[in-house]
Amino acid sequence: MDIAARLGRLQLLVVTGKGGVGKTAAAASLGRLLAAAGRRVLVLEVDPRENVHQMLAVPPSGGAIVRAGTRLWVQNLKPGQVLDDIVRERLKVEMLARRVLASPVYEQFSAGAPGLKELAILGHALRLLRRVGPPDAPQLDLVVLDAPATGHGVRLLAAPRLVSEVIGDGPFGALAGELAGFVADPERCGIVVVTQAEEMPVEEALELREALASQLGRQPELLIVNGLFPPLPAGLERPEVFDPVEPLLPPAPPPAPEMPLGAELLTFWRHRRFLNERELERLARWWEGPRIELPLLALERGPALTDALQQLLAAGLAPGAAGTAAAANAPTPSIAGGAGVAGAEQA
Amino acid sequence: MNLLSDEHPLVIFVGAGGVGKTTLAAALGVVSARAGRDTLVMTFDPSLRLKDALGVGQEAKEHAVRVDLEAVGELHASLLDARRTFDRLIERYAPDAEARRRVLDNRFYQHLSGSLGGILEYMAVERLFEVAAAGRYRQVVLDTPPTRQALDFLEAPARIVGFLDSGALRVALRPWFDEQGRLKATSRLGGLGRRAERFLDEVVGLDLLRDMAEFFQAFSPLFAGFRERASQVEELLRSSKTLFVLVAGPGEERIPDTLFFARRLRQAGYHLGPIVVNRVHPEPDEPLRPGPPAAAELAPGSAPAPVPGLVDGIQLLTWLGERDRRGLVQLAQLLSDAQPLVDLPLRAEEPTDLPSLADLGADLEDRLADWRRHLRRES
Repeated sequence: MDIAARLGRLQLLVVTGKGGVGKTAAAASLGRLLAAAGRRVLVLEVDPRENVHQMLAVPPSGGAIVRAGTRLWVQNLKPGQVLDDIVRERLKVEMLARRVLASPVYEQFSAGAPGLKELAILGHALRLLRRVGPPDAPQLDLVVLDAPATGHGVRLLAAPRLVSEVIGDGPFGALAGELAGFVADPERCGIVVVTQAEEMPVEEALELREALASQLGRQPELLIVNGLFPPLPAGLERPEVFDPVEPLLPPAPPPAPEMPLGAELLTFWRHRRFLNERELERLARWWEGPRIELPLLALERGPALTDALQQLLAAGLAPGAAGTAAAANAPTPSIAGGAGVAGAEQA
Repeated sequence: MNLLSDEHPLVIFVGAGGVGKTTLAAALGVVSARAGRDTLVMTFDPSLRLKDALGVGQEAKEHAVRVDLEAVGELHASLLDARRTFDRLIERYAPDAEARRRVLDNRFYQHLSGSLGGILEYMAVERLFEVAAAGRYRQVVLDTPPTRQALDFLEAPARIVGFLDSGALRVALRPWFDEQGRLKATSRLGGLGRRAERFLDEVVGLDLLRDMAEFFQAFSPLFAGFRERASQVEELLRSSKTLFVLVAGPGEERIPDTLFFARRLRQAGYHLGPIVVNRVHPEPDEPLRPGPPAAAELAPGSAPAPVPGLVDGIQLLTWLGERDRRGLVQLAQLLSDAQPLVDLPLRAEEPTDLPSLADLGADLEDRLADWRRHLRRES
């Protein structure tokens, strides 16, 4: 199945994963990839500290929608601001709006009402897609949401349903219900999980997958395994001594060729690659669904990294590409981009 | 400088998510017990392997569990579970069974209290206080929750106190709805109030507000104890006996975050100990610049042709090592000379058993003991 085409048909793409795995880089390069494919795309960030603009070489959004290329925009969203804007929009009388905004009931409500921030974020995306937001907003086909880290990511997606169940009817409940339907619809909303082939991020990715299934009845559209160390060249894969993980390794390695180039570095490389492969195997066993593997790249966070990731994603997501494992039961994980490098401390 | 000392029986690891706080906290705990100090490590979200290493499971959410470590001092570990702590707090402060039941049964509390003004983050420090007050341990090491903003939890006690003192709470405590089921706070405002109320009803539905109001009313008998506790927790965090260790990721791009956290900590009056730049990629033993022509040098003799993939791999590893080193040197230049700063290497394997945790902890202690010389040597 053509995953790129499938992602391109969606209206909202939620990119989530543990902190530090390269979520923002993935969101920016996916956004750019889908814009290049002809969609009008907004990359929406909710982190109070802006990062996306750096990946796309534009000035910080400061809350505004900023053009970042052909058919591509970015916005950094402050959920509290969205609520205040809705109040101003609905209560057309400025004095009345000020009164509401200053009232302790509103203050407490907007800070404390559960699920409200999450609804504001999703509602904002929906309003932009339907062109009921600010009149000067561009027409959009797709919002790529650089969502909060895993735990909060589930909360974001589960909020509409939770709120609509607790509140039942009422206008807020109705909005929550509508958003819950949107989030649950695989034709409109997709989820991309980003991880690294290390124990904790993989653990979180698998937990996220379960939480999505149990709380939303959803499966992620795609898993991006970021930051892989490159496989070792033939003949160098096996260490002579491999202390900490010795028992897990295959039996007696053939003697390695002479290694004048810093045995320590090579050992380090082997260990990290071994860890990567161990976690890739775990994913191959437990992750059902499409997955793409991206190498660790020798690039600082910035537009060059976005470019490189965009190309790797384009190649890996093309129909029949080796980089995706559509069925997860392959006995050994396929490794994308042989000679390339894996990489992803880039956030 | 030394992390394990009676001068600061409380050591708190802070920093952004994914930098290795939990592992470092556990490592320090192991070293501390080995140094003969009865120690408690409180962590949030350890990996399965780390949980196995410490031998803690679900029961560690209820009480500290003794870690099976051969050491002069005892090592205990506990898992922090915010909701469980909150429940316990309510059980403790509720004046009677009825008040307790009203809070615990409240729909708002059950489903939705998770986002209530950071109250769950507050539970971390609350639990810490419980332990500190009991005085059973000579050393307590606290890992901090994976919040988006690494220092959110520090503000939690102040936020709770502020919240309890605020007008918002007084509004919340006054029954919100009059006999007609109308919002009292808005009915006071006359015509404007009715429109504001219509707006609130339109946007949120009054049911939710009723649930919230009920929750705060049910919670009110607990407030006095809660408030006092929050101020004590705040005091504990600022006490000179509490030392903060700021853990940061390597690389230049992390420097602004690190400086920001350090400044915030100091400005807010907390005692910042060392900054630990963790998981620094190793540098090549000697500078390697393997372009295609140099590749032959990499494996002279044995292989006349370059090994495919070797050059790319070496280039990447060299780049990572150099990037991290650059970041460290830059950070050192930006910090005051008096600020202890050490780096710890990214290890080939994450330390996930007691011996490797002990290694890591000892490494941290060694580097700290000699941090000035260590840094000079390294840069």
